[in-house]
Amino acid sequence: MSGPDERRVKEPLDLEALPGQARASTAEDEEEASPPGGPTADAQGRGRDDSEKLDQYLLRRYHLYGDRTAREQLITMYLPLVRSLARRYASRGEQFDDLVQVGAIGLIKAIDRFDLSRGVELTTYATPNIVGEIKRYFRDKGWSVRVPRGLQELNIRLNKIIDELVPKLQRSPTINELAEAANATPEQVLEALETSQAYNSVSLQASPNGEGGEEDAGLIDYLGGEEEAYDTMEDRTTLAPGFAKLDKRERYILHLRFFEGLTQSQIAERVGISQMHVSRLIRRSLERLREEIGELDAPQTSRPSGDDPR
Amino acid sequence: MAERIDLEVPATLNGLSTVRLVLGGLGARLDFSLDDLEDVYLATDHLLRTALDADALDRLSLEVLLGDGVLRFTAGTFRSAKLRADVTIHAEDCLDLCMLLRRTVDDVVFEDEDGAYRIVLVKRRKGGPA
Repeated sequence: MSGPDERRVKEPLDLEALPGQARASTAEDEEEASPPGGPTADAQGRGRDDSEKLDQYLLRRYHLYGDRTAREQLITMYLPLVRSLARRYASRGEQFDDLVQVGAIGLIKAIDRFDLSRGVELTTYATPNIVGEIKRYFRDKGWSVRVPRGLQELNIRLNKIIDELVPKLQRSPTINELAEAANATPEQVLEALETSQAYNSVSLQASPNGEGGEEDAGLIDYLGGEEEAYDTMEDRTTLAPGFAKLDKRERYILHLRFFEGLTQSQIAERVGISQMHVSRLIRRSLERLREEIGELDAPQTSRPSGDDPR
Repeated sequence: MAERIDLEVPATLNGLSTVRLVLGGLGARLDFSLDDLEDVYLATDHLLRTALDADALDRLSLEVLLGDGVLRFTAGTFRSAKLRADVTIHAEDCLDLCMLLRRTVDDVVFEDEDGAYRIVLVKRRKGGPA
């Protein structure tokens, strides 16, 4: 999406006056600058048509003339929409006010990036931006969980043990088998496996066992041979809703798991990464799909004047 | 003989994390393989997160029945028509909740009562020791 300075509009407006640039008013400006419903019209008691006209008027004032007051007025007008969307996520352990602040960032981004030439309503454009910002906040919080050193070490050991046990047993190991092999309790194993989900952002250059020794191959070394397989993946998977936002490897792994019906252990063997890493990738990919599909499902027509009663 | 565990957690992401840990412990007692356990995690997590989005809930009431190699997970009570549709209707070529449940659990059952319903997920041990 282009920035405000790159905006082009269909209307025959003066394009020389861009945001941040002052210029003298003209009679035409005064006509252009008259808000719908008269100069004293405000956000209260406006009809839908008036709302749209006022939105467009304020957006033009901001994007074409750099009118910061118009931007602030838009933010104020749309805060009820932010509150309405934030309320949906307020039951997930975060403060409602924090979610409103995060959502407001999404709103401001939407206003700043709004493209006047596209002919869409600000509500339609702002809603997925606000929801996306709130969901990113939850995702980032999840990634920042600090894992105790002891659990990190057990996690690394389990990774190796699973890789050893799968070919030996010819099946996925149980928690009790892992506990015995790791000389730990089943509860410790479960906790260590759960904390492995905290390692969401794994570098392609990082060692899959997390130790990073010189003899360890990076993930990228495991992946080279799979590129061809990714490319031959059935088109239907690539076209499934939300899949376009995933990278090839994520699409491939979801395809194997849910369209081909392979288990995580079988996928690990096929792709050449650990079962725990397959687990992390599946959870992360499904999370991104939820976000993408959730944004597609987000309400497109609600007006900023009505707070969600929920 | 089946063992029954009742659980009530806040309808938050932290609550779901608690559910995951409890299910992990119960799955371990049934000698579920890691693959089976991951299936249980995915199915319950996505079902409950969809429920949180669809229904205005303060608490989640859950029941887990442990049988011979079988874990029977019941969640509810729900009223959302959208949640019910998400669980039952699969859009072709879409990795939706319905398909995710089909691939991860053996049975999905609705228990209706007074206009509301509970959702039952059944997972049988497959990949563990004989």
